[in-house]
Amino acid sequence: MPLTARGEAIFERLPGAAPRASTGAIGCQIVRHEELCIGCGRCASACPTGATSKGDLFDPMQLYSAPPESRRGALGASLRAIAKHKPSGPIEVPERVSAFRTIVFDASRCIGCGACARACPTGAAEALPVPAEEIATAGASG
Amino acid sequence: MTEALTEERTAASEAAKTDRSIVGFFCRECAYAAADATGNARISLPTTIRSVLVPCTGRVGPLHLLSALSEGADGVYIAGCLEGQCHYREGNFHALDRVEFVQSLLESVGVERERVRMFTMSAADSPRFVAAAREMHETISSLPPLKRK
Repeated sequence: MPLTARGEAIFERLPGAAPRASTGAIGCQIVRHEELCIGCGRCASACPTGATSKGDLFDPMQLYSAPPESRRGALGASLRAIAKHKPSGPIEVPERVSAFRTIVFDASRCIGCGACARACPTGAAEALPVPAEEIATAGASG
Repeated sequence: MTEALTEERTAASEAAKTDRSIVGFFCRECAYAAADATGNARISLPTTIRSVLVPCTGRVGPLHLLSALSEGADGVYIAGCLEGQCHYREGNFHALDRVEFVQSLLESVGVERERVRMFTMSAADSPRFVAAAREMHETISSLPPLKRK
């Protein structure tokens, strides 16, 4: 996925003007807890660089592990009731189905802005603060 | 009106005798009108079909389809407007994609994907409505009853 205009603008302002990995110049390291993810996609909408996006695949196992009171959990319970065996793996999701997609995280595009963590309602995307010495190095090079 | 009700009740009691059941979600604008025309013409439908009226097939989600199967239906189908003729612009396209999604879900857990289908028809096309109902009935009758835990 190409960068959005906002993403390009942010990259240009980075020290060294080069894309950085998760521990890069803006700050945080993003850690994803997939078991908490409900696939709402708010992180993908919030991400300025396209590092977090909604994928083309969905793993039915996510329905089984969802909390039973959630909509995904209800779907999982129904599926479990008629299933002959465990889900055989990720399935392709048709274009207009947006609620059931596994979130894809590309660390090489991440600038560590933490927008996904702020947008996440369940804490599945967590932004860890960057160590002080890295901030010092980033300041020195920029 | 009373005639239609009596007919519906007879159909329901006959359906209770057969061992399979199929749930059909029918769009109010097209398929349900076609169903109405079918009833007015006194054409008989397979007794396995139970109908559910929805304002638009776009209302039907994966949970409707899957919970119908897990609560006792052996097959589910959606009947909606022809492509591009949805009264709410693109509800039937959403329904079609959801049907495909549920079919892949079923396939991934070893259940036949033919148990969920989507048909489209115009409001005046009662022969197509009957054909869809019969086709669904044939398909489900040829499959073994759906096992539940």
